[in-house]
Amino acid sequence: MGKKTINLSMSECNNREMRIGSIISWDGKASELVEASNYEQRSRHEKKHGCNGGGGKACQLCELNMPFSQQTMCANAIVACQIGNLTDCILIEHAPIGCSANNIKYNISFNIGLARRGKAPQTVNILNTNLLENDMVFGASDKLRRTIDDAYNRYHPKAIFISMSCSTAIIGEDIDSIADEKEAEIGIPVVPLHCEGFRSKHWSTGFDISQHGVARQIVNKNPVKQKDLINIVALWGTDYFTDLLKPLGLRVNYLLDMASYDELHQASEAVATATFCHTLGSYLATALEEHYDVPQVNAPQPYGIPATDEWLRAIAKIVGKEEITEKYIESEHKRIQPKIDELREKLKGLKGAVFTGSAYAHGLICVLRELGIEVQGSIVFHHDPVYDSGQDRQNSLKYLVDNYGDVEYFTVSKTQPFQVYNILQRMETDFIIIRHGGLAPVAAKLGVPSLPMGDEHFPLGYDGIIRLGNVILDIVARHKFDDVLSRHTTLGYTDWWLSQKDPFILAHNPDIINEPIHELNGGKYDG
Amino acid sequence: MAEKVKKRKESTIAHSRYGCAIGAAYTVAAINGAVPISHASPGCVDKQYALIGSGYQGCGNGAGGDTPSVNFGENEVVFGGVKKLDAEIQSALKIVKGDLFVVLSGCSAGLIGDDVPSVVKKYQNQGYNIVHADVPGFKGNNLYGHEVVVKAIIDQFVGDYRGKKRKKLINVWTGVPYYNSNWRGDYIELKRILEGAGFDVNILFGPQSGGIEEWKTIPKAAFNLLVSPWVGLDIVKHLEEKYNQPYLHIPVLPVGEEATTEFLRKVVDFAGIDNTKAEKFIAKEAKEYYSFIEHFAKFFSEYWFGIPSRFATVADTTYGIAYTKFLADQIGFIPIKVIITDNPPEKYRESINDLFHHLSEGVSVDVEYIEDGYNIEQSLVNTDFGSSIPLILGTAWEGDAARAKKALLIQVSTPIENEVILNRSFIGYKGALTLIERVFTKAVGG
Repeated sequence: MGKKTINLSMSECNNREMRIGSIISWDGKASELVEASNYEQRSRHEKKHGCNGGGGKACQLCELNMPFSQQTMCANAIVACQIGNLTDCILIEHAPIGCSANNIKYNISFNIGLARRGKAPQTVNILNTNLLENDMVFGASDKLRRTIDDAYNRYHPKAIFISMSCSTAIIGEDIDSIADEKEAEIGIPVVPLHCEGFRSKHWSTGFDISQHGVARQIVNKNPVKQKDLINIVALWGTDYFTDLLKPLGLRVNYLLDMASYDELHQASEAVATATFCHTLGSYLATALEEHYDVPQVNAPQPYGIPATDEWLRAIAKIVGKEEITEKYIESEHKRIQPKIDELREKLKGLKGAVFTGSAYAHGLICVLRELGIEVQGSIVFHHDPVYDSGQDRQNSLKYLVDNYGDVEYFTVSKTQPFQVYNILQRMETDFIIIRHGGLAPVAAKLGVPSLPMGDEHFPLGYDGIIRLGNVILDIVARHKFDDVLSRHTTLGYTDWWLSQKDPFILAHNPDIINEPIHELNGGKYDG
Repeated sequence: MAEKVKKRKESTIAHSRYGCAIGAAYTVAAINGAVPISHASPGCVDKQYALIGSGYQGCGNGAGGDTPSVNFGENEVVFGGVKKLDAEIQSALKIVKGDLFVVLSGCSAGLIGDDVPSVVKKYQNQGYNIVHADVPGFKGNNLYGHEVVVKAIIDQFVGDYRGKKRKKLINVWTGVPYYNSNWRGDYIELKRILEGAGFDVNILFGPQSGGIEEWKTIPKAAFNLLVSPWVGLDIVKHLEEKYNQPYLHIPVLPVGEEATTEFLRKVVDFAGIDNTKAEKFIAKEAKEYYSFIEHFAKFFSEYWFGIPSRFATVADTTYGIAYTKFLADQIGFIPIKVIITDNPPEKYRESINDLFHHLSEGVSVDVEYIEDGYNIEQSLVNTDFGSSIPLILGTAWEGDAARAKKALLIQVSTPIENEVILNRSFIGYKGALTLIERVFTKAVGG
């Protein structure tokens, strides 16, 4: 085993931007970002000065600096949707009540996810310590202790997690000590998660923090190998992996959403770890590899035919099922090809764009192009120049560019609706695939319908290509609604902004913000 | 009265039914042309949207994902956030279309002591319509935030006024936009009936409002009409002091003909305007209303597959009292449990108890004030609904309890997850019919 990059002795995990140099603001061609990312050199963790330098801690990709931003998610919300969606563990949000306002959203996703995985419905049980002004002044440790007792007495969970909020981080609540103290007292793992919203510039650090806590305190430290078990790091997606991996004789252990304590616990016993998205899965996969000798699958994500082939072959090699896998691949090709041909005919001439999380977007574009759909542009919500694994075949953006060609307008932007107008002006598209909030409504007002990809596993594997092709036919029909909308509503931006061709003009030309816009706004004519 | 038993302090909240003060971004977003700017961490207003906008209400420009936000990072927490706020405001004024901008500062800004007023002052001095409201989440919930934001807009934007009042013009203050999920429909119905009775109405929020121009006329109104058990009392008292403007407080949103007619007569009487127009309007509305009720009676009196009778209400005070009273007083359902979830200040609780003790002649129910979902569910599960089908008017969080009691659950209070709400109201003349439709559609299996 080589040098460990993930340190499980610390309760905190390093921010993504510090660990792997993630950025949230960039604009150019996908091929240029591949080059600037310098994945290979970064993966070797070589120190080098300059922008394209290797994985030294502070070395960043050049990033555009915009003075304006719109609301986004935070790492604390991600922890709620990860740890809060475990079936028999309890998350405590040590925070004012507003930090729990989104619990209802994760109750919806939880129950949809449970149904997709064939598990019984249950209500999300996330507890909040309800911090008020006095607690900010005098500290809130006793409230946290009380809520831990409530969690234990009410629900008898297998583990309790505590999430940090902006306010508890600023007033210096020592959740580590309280977690240790209560763990000793009640005898189940009590896991502190340092996920205050201001901490990382991108919410995806929240995935890492959740996985860090699980790898550090929940996973079985004395694993007994289960030779037919494979970890899939996932969100709420339908269980398509079981069918995909059945011919290899593998059972799927989904992590983290909708998992039970026991399912998390056995993660160290699996033969391998894979994921539907490296943005999501790489931290946990790497932690399991470095600390528990569970290898991760060094292959492209399973989107499109060649990548799915390669992904299956990589797993087959780990479990020694090469021969049977080759037969399976061959028969799958035969089975799906006529259906794909038929869809390609129906989808001929269509153009699409993908506005989603980072590595997932790379995969989606592969599938769209596999279906013959032209993709001129994409927005990814952040970019990781390298993943924690550093594995060469996981370089998902390079895989896209090398195998399916460049993406002309490749934008890194953290869910900023105001840029969607300018971005859509410079490309042609009949529909967009989206995740997260805020972007699709802008596109809708421009007559562009959206496919909200709430079932993450929908496009994966061989059948995913067919599923995606079929649903796109449904989605493009919805332009009827968007056409009505575009005829009768307006966008909430100034004419000045809507006249800009460059969505990053304020970063490329910072002085422009001091020039008058020659229109009335905020009650004053700026001329 | 419940016995006073000394027990351990309760502070935990599961299944939150309100957001925090910065949720008042949605009070701003409900004003046509107003844009909130969040001086807070990433996640703050996004989270509030999930709860306060529940029922898939969506939103217009400036809200939802559009809300300008400083998105605090470590840098701002360590070195202060005012520099970034300054750049955010400057660029928002160039990029985001708005008639009025409202800067809302959250927990991080409050705890590190950012001097937000001085940044905002700079833009006020340049002639922009921009105000600041201090709404960190630890100071209170979104109902508290609502009052703070409204007062901030009145003080910093509407400003002083010493001119004449217009006799027929009234300002209406009622349910909290977005949080009271039917707000758009409610505001439309209130405006419709008050105009029908002869008033000019500043409705102030929602699609029928004249936006910030209407807000400018607040001081010209003859009086403020508050239709809410307690939220908004701070606002109308503030207006009384600031503009020497009296207020009429009607604590219960009127539902159904009798309540709505009584409501209109009270307002007309308070205003001292001629009642001819109002009475004509009332007669017309009543005729139409009872035509529907007469038809409905055929179903209600002879449907023999069972309809509910005993019901529990789990809701915020505003909707809780309005719907409970209607079902108890006009339909003859039996309220057996009322849980109020929006944490009304202690000083208002006696008057709220009083409302529930006088729902109708001979109908009274005690109120439990609980914010913690776990305790709410325990209380519901231990309720005896008798032999009819149990009915719960509640929130999305009552799913487990409803399953346990085999009850019909209608989600009427925040958060709502199984209804898509556009133009819906359960109040006034028209809304009461919709409420009847909703309850009995559920009862017949819809």
